[in-house]
Formats: sequence, structure tokens, C-alpha cells
Amino acid sequence: MNEKREIAQSATTFNKQADSLVRGLIGRGRSSHGTVRMFVILLGAFAFFTFLEPEIFLNPVNLSNIMIVSPEIGVLSVAMMLAMLTGGIDLSIVAIANLSAITITTIYSEMAAVDQEQASSLVFVIIGLGLLVGLCAGLLNGVLISYVGIAPILATLGTMQIFNGIAIVWTGGKTLYGAPEHLSMLGKVGILNVPFLFLAFVLISIVVALFLNKSSLGRKTQLLGSNPVAATYSGINPRLVLMSTYVLTGFLGGIAGILFLVRNPTSSADYGSSYVLLVIVIAVLGGTNPNGGFATVAGVVLATLALQTLASGFSAIRLSAYEYAIAQGTILISVMILDQLSINRRRKKSPQVKSKRVMNEEA
Amino acid sequence: MTKSNDGVFMTLARLRGQNNEGILALVLFALIGTISFLNPVFFSLSTLFSTMRGAIVPLIFALGVLIVIISGGIDVSFAAIAVFSAYTTVKFLNDGEIDPGLLGITIIAVLFGLVLGFFNGLVISLFKLPTLIVTLGTQSLFKGILLAYIGSRYIANPPLSLDEVAKTNVLTIIGDDGRGAYLHVLVIPAFILAVLVAWMLKRTMFGRAIYAIGGDSEAARRAGFPVIRVQIFVYGLAGALAAIAGVMHVTLGRNANPQDLVGNELDVIAAVVLGGASVFGGRGSVLGTTLGVLIIQVINNSLILAGVPTAWQRAAVGILLIVGVGIQALSAKRKTQTRSTTPIAIRMLEDKS
Repeated sequence: MNEKREIAQSATTFNKQADSLVRGLIGRGRSSHGTVRMFVILLGAFAFFTFLEPEIFLNPVNLSNIMIVSPEIGVLSVAMMLAMLTGGIDLSIVAIANLSAITITTIYSEMAAVDQEQASSLVFVIIGLGLLVGLCAGLLNGVLISYVGIAPILATLGTMQIFNGIAIVWTGGKTLYGAPEHLSMLGKVGILNVPFLFLAFVLISIVVALFLNKSSLGRKTQLLGSNPVAATYSGINPRLVLMSTYVLTGFLGGIAGILFLVRNPTSSADYGSSYVLLVIVIAVLGGTNPNGGFATVAGVVLATLALQTLASGFSAIRLSAYEYAIAQGTILISVMILDQLSINRRRKKSPQVKSKRVMNEEA
Repeated sequence: MTKSNDGVFMTLARLRGQNNEGILALVLFALIGTISFLNPVFFSLSTLFSTMRGAIVPLIFALGVLIVIISGGIDVSFAAIAVFSAYTTVKFLNDGEIDPGLLGITIIAVLFGLVLGFFNGLVISLFKLPTLIVTLGTQSLFKGILLAYIGSRYIANPPLSLDEVAKTNVLTIIGDDGRGAYLHVLVIPAFILAVLVAWMLKRTMFGRAIYAIGGDSEAARRAGFPVIRVQIFVYGLAGALAAIAGVMHVTLGRNANPQDLVGNELDVIAAVVLGGASVFGGRGSVLGTTLGVLIIQVINNSLILAGVPTAWQRAAVGILLIVGVGIQALSAKRKTQTRSTTPIAIRMLEDKS
């Protein structure tokens, strides 16, 4: 008898603990909401397609393909998330990535035409130049937005045209070949079947997440996004923070440009032109609040993987890219609507919720 | 400041226009002047007419985008709506071998456009969602439905009545050298639509409500404007205009391509913004938008005549956009009376110092 009661008791305590754990995971505000939601969608999509077409979907080629395609989109989405975190947006991000890839390709192929050895020895400098291009492009965005005072959507709409225009002029609208072999070699290596690209993506995401949550500048960026006035009165220099956000966004764009080259040793002005809007979709699905203030890197990474899984799953069960577009649009809109409804509900309930949380914390 | 000086400034201010239309007109004339100077061939009736023909579709798109931007939103789904409406209409009519003429086709397409636009408006206004994100989603949705379920094949033979219209010119002037200048007939409906939208924005209660909501939707609501209803109609109207532009695009190009148009949304938005509309809502005019569209048309079609390689078009539009909105932003900053989102904190700092 006693034993039974004990078991029952431990079961209830376990239940309570599990309950509070789940509640904690779900209830910790909007940002972790996005992470959990994307995790659920990712797992659900994975399970669904595994169930329907295990042979095609679980094929190592298919899985590694997901891991090879995701990184470039993921890094761009993380960059977009940073801009959206401050309540802005960066439409020029893909153009920056292309410009960086074109810089590397042109300089390297021209040097290699003269002296292959020298080009190989200077490859890191050349890649650095590509990153520098991204940095400068971000700097231009930052100046226009924080010092001239142009709205981010307009400033980056304009610079997108400019960067893209420069890329068209530079390449003459052609696709360039002859990116450094070192980069495409990286694309072929991996650790334990995990491609290098994916490892790089995870590493970059961790660094950005650490920057956002641990560094002073990262915290300031979050504060500025959630309440610019309060942030300003707390002694944060809004211009400087906004500026550095866009510089970082541009830098990440430069990194994405390098990832382009790792995956595919060609570059052109119009590569990934459909990425601009896709990247915004991913950032929002990952729990980024378009009005600024809330975002997590984990959410964006999961959203990237979820969408890629969905895309490859759709092709595994022989649905067209068009049907994938429908799914993408439907998911985006329904997630936004559900979010809004849950915010409304929370707002109505908010006094209760608050007192409950306070009680929990006191206990 | 002396009185006469004041008068000069007043006249200048009036010439400049509420949304810098005067400056835009100056830019357009300067552009035309420069290109004509560099290459006299440019300065001809045939260039004028072909520029106008090229501006028909972008102008009608821009009118829809203008209405949405004045209401404080942004729409990136209009190209998808245009392709959806025009292609679906043409496909069904071709399949049934019916040809109701340009007007009939336009009316059917407009119905499609209205429905899709209302869908945008409903989602945006009922759930108070960010317009950019919603229209991104519906863009993908509309285009996906079109290509997956309606058709993904290029139609090379739209209804014959459209072909007739495509060949009709309202004005043909044959020059001394035998080269003709042809003014396309569709310039007329485009012009009428522009006038109608301008009239609606300036003179009707609905138009004023759009400005009021764009200026401050909470204030508009308290003043008694039915915000949700107006918003739904704004997106419906934008959808209808997009559908008209879609039909005209099909007519002028004499083919219906379901992969067309989508992807060039940002160019139209750039033209509207260049035309003085504020992305924060509440400001913008049809005249400014028209000038913005024409400037971009001239750059895209005629910069090559001035010896500038076509590759520079995109960069040129971008620089023009940055300079245009940059000047607006700087002058707004000086006045510190226009509203803006990010620089709120910055402005507060400036007010303090």
C-alpha cells in the first residue's frame, strides 16, 4: 500500500515537474516561442516525410543535400534577423553576398591567370577582401540609416540596387568562373558525414548568439530594438548601435558570399535573387518580431532547417516547387495569425499570468 | 527677412509642391536635357511615345502601390496578383474559346484581382499584421496556386481582341525621314486611371480616409473612420489595379507568361517612393508617382543613348533613390516634425540638445 502511494506521489511530482518544464519552455515569451514552434515543425516535417518516403527522404544524399543548401540561406537569415531585431530590415543582404563572391572570384581568377602560385598563397588575403567588401557595404547602409536618417527599408532598397548594379557592371551580366579551388575543396570535406558548410553554419550561429546574449553591444542591440526611447535614456548611443548592427549584417552577408563559393565555384550578379524575400520569411518564422526587440538565433536556425526539410520532403513525395511555395506562404501567414491571437489572449489574461508567475518565483 | 523675399519663398514652395513634385519635374527635365544634349536622337516624338508606352504597366502598378503606401502599408504581392488574374482569365477564355473583348477580359481579371486583394486586406486588417510580411506570404501563395493548379505553360496566343488592341495606335505621326512615332492606345486608359485615382485621393471621403489612416490610424479611428473597412478596400483596390496592369501587360506583350512580372516588385516601389510618397504613410501624390515612374522609365530605356552602358541602369536608379530619400530624410530631420520609426530615439536626443 505504502509503496503504491509513494509511486503515485513520485508520479505526481514528476508530472508537475514535466508540466512546469513544458510551461517554462512555451511560456518564456515570444522569442523562445518561435524556437519551440520551429523545433516542432522541423521534427514533424522530418517524421512525416520519413513515414511517407523513407527510402528517398532518409537517403544520405538527400540529408547531406539539406545540410549543404541550408547554410548560405541560414547565414543570410541570421543577418536579416539582426537587422529586424532593431526594428529595421536589410533588403541589400543578398546583393552584398553576391558582391563579395564576385570580388573574390574576379581578383583570384585574374591573379591566377598571371601567377597561379602567388594567387594560391594570397588566397586568404583575397577572401579577406571579400569580407571587407561586405563590411564596407554594411557601413554604407549603417551611415544612411543611422546618420542620414533614411528608413531602413528604403535605404537598403536603394543600396540593393546600387550593389546589384555594381555587380552587373563588374561582371557584364555574365556568370564568372574560377573561384579559388581552396573554397570548393572545403565544400567536399566533412566530419562524420556532416559537410563542412553545415559545421561553418553552426559555428557562425553560435558566435552570433553569443554576441547577442553575452556581449555588451549585443545586449544594447536587443534593448534598442525593444524600446528605442528607453534605450536612449539608459545611455545607449542609438546611432552607434544601429550602425554596428548594419555593419555586422553586411559582414555576415560577406560570409554568405564565401559560402556561395564553397558550394558552387561560380558567381554572378543575379545569384539567389529569390533569397531576399525567403530570408525575411525564415527570420519571421524563427520568431523574429518584425517590429524589433525579439529574436533568437536558435529560432532562425531551426526555421532555416525546417523550411529546407520541407522543400526536400516535398520533392521526395513528388510535389512541385509551386506546391512548396503554397506551403511556405500558408505557413508564414498562419504562424503570424496564431502569434497575434496568442498575444491578444495573453494581453487579456496578463494580470493573472503575472501574479501566477510572481507566485511561482516566490515559491 | 523682407516681405518680397517671403513672397519669393512662398512661390518657390508652391512650385516645389507638397511632395517635392516640382523637384522631381526638374530632375526629369534635367535628365531629358542632358540625354538630348549628349545624343540629339533622343529628343524626338518617337522616344516620347515609346517611353509613354513603356510606362503604362509600371504606372498602373504604381498607382495601386501608392494607395497602399499612403495608407501606411506596403504591398509586394501586386505582381503575383497581376499575373494570377491576367493569366487565369486568358487561360479560361482560351480554353472555352470565348473572346469578350478587352473590356470584358479586363472586368473578369479585375474580379480576380479584387478577390485576391480583399484576401490581403482581410488578413492584414483583422489580425493587425505587418503588411510587408503578409504580402510576402500571399505573393508566394498566389504564385504557387497559379503555377501548381491553373497553369505553368506560356500562352503565345491570347484572345484575338487583345491582339487587335496591341496593334492599335491612337496617334501616328510620320516624320520627314519616314520614321513614324506611334502613341499606343492603352496610354489613354492609363491616363484616365491616374486621374481617377488622383480624384479619389483628393476629393472623396474614402481618399481622405486613406490619408488619415496612414497618418495615424488610432487618431483616424477615434475621428470615426472605419479603419478596418477602409484598409480592406485599399488592398482590394490595389489588387484590382494590379489586375488591370496585368491585362495590359499581356496585351502589350501579346503573350501570357505565368512566370512573368514577379520579382520586379521593388522597382515599382522604388518609383513610388522616389515620387515622394512616405513609407510611413499619410503622404504621397499621383503626380509625384507619375513623375517617379517616368524618371525610372527614361533611365531604363534611354540612358544608353547618352553613352551610359545599360549595365549601369540598376545602379543609377539606386543612386537616384538614395539621393532622393536622403534629401527628404535630412530635410525632415531639420524640421523634426515628420514621423519616422527608427530614429525616434535619435530625434529625442536632438530635441534635448
